[in-house]
Amino acid sequence: MSRVFQARGDAIRAQFEPQEVELLRTLEQGVSDTLAHADETDPVIERLFPTAVAGDDDADAELRRLLRDELLEARQAGLRALIEILDRARLHRGRLRVDLTDDEPLLVLGVLNDLRLAIGARIGIEHLERDNIPDDDALQYRLAVMDHLGWWQEQLLVLLDGPDEVRTTDEQGDWP
Amino acid sequence: MASRVAIPGGSDRGRVVQATIAASAPCASGAPEAPVREQEPDLEERTDPDRPWDVIVWDDPVNLMSYVVFVLRRVFGFSEPVAHKLMLEVHNLGKALVASEPRERAEMYVSQLHGYGLQATMERSS
Repeated sequence: MSRVFQARGDAIRAQFEPQEVELLRTLEQGVSDTLAHADETDPVIERLFPTAVAGDDDADAELRRLLRDELLEARQAGLRALIEILDRARLHRGRLRVDLTDDEPLLVLGVLNDLRLAIGARIGIEHLERDNIPDDDALQYRLAVMDHLGWWQEQLLVLLDGPDEVRTTDEQGDWP
Repeated sequence: MASRVAIPGGSDRGRVVQATIAASAPCASGAPEAPVREQEPDLEERTDPDRPWDVIVWDDPVNLMSYVVFVLRRVFGFSEPVAHKLMLEVHNLGKALVASEPRERAEMYVSQLHGYGLQATMERSS
């Protein structure tokens, strides 16, 4: 299987199989719908908007209320940006190609993480014993999708992990 | 944390304190001689309303180990070795103290970590 993300000058070039783009669109739609309903008992919502203050329910409720709108807007903006990026992709030798510039690689990294967190919460991954799930169980497909997106994240992390991209708040810092 | 590799355990409290100092002063995070508060705070300090808030990152089965390292470096400005050690502590012990800060700054860190999808909480430093 060939890599999806590769460095291309200042940009990171993404080349997806058409069915991978369809998968991303389907996953994005699912999470967008979940965020729009924002049902607080939904495990996906619980995971994407987790506990903020430990050991103090009142302080936790207060801080989560304070952070919630910004966090929701950031997640929705990320999902919208992913779709805009996918819409930009053009077919080239059977794959859909699009160049990610500026903050887009970081944004895609985060959105892929949100999509994986959402799948994990939906299938109750906290309570799953992966080795005990039969191969033909639908859960195996969901887990394989999580792995696949995780593999893309790993590719992006390698490309993003240069000293220029990971900056300290102190620009004079002495970093490797 | 999601990983394809088994990683041996191990951590020590002194390093966490050092990492905490690094969080409040990123430019000093490479210095091995950073001062460490060794004594238990007395009662007066513990009831002090200005007592700092600890920011804790919790393990979860989805976030990749490499992603957690990336986020810790990005949010706190940790060096790669410091971020890596903290990630391993999360992975092996279930949680790690990543910063100890005044309330507003702790809230900012929790907000950023939630934005990246990490499970992070804050609590009054004990």
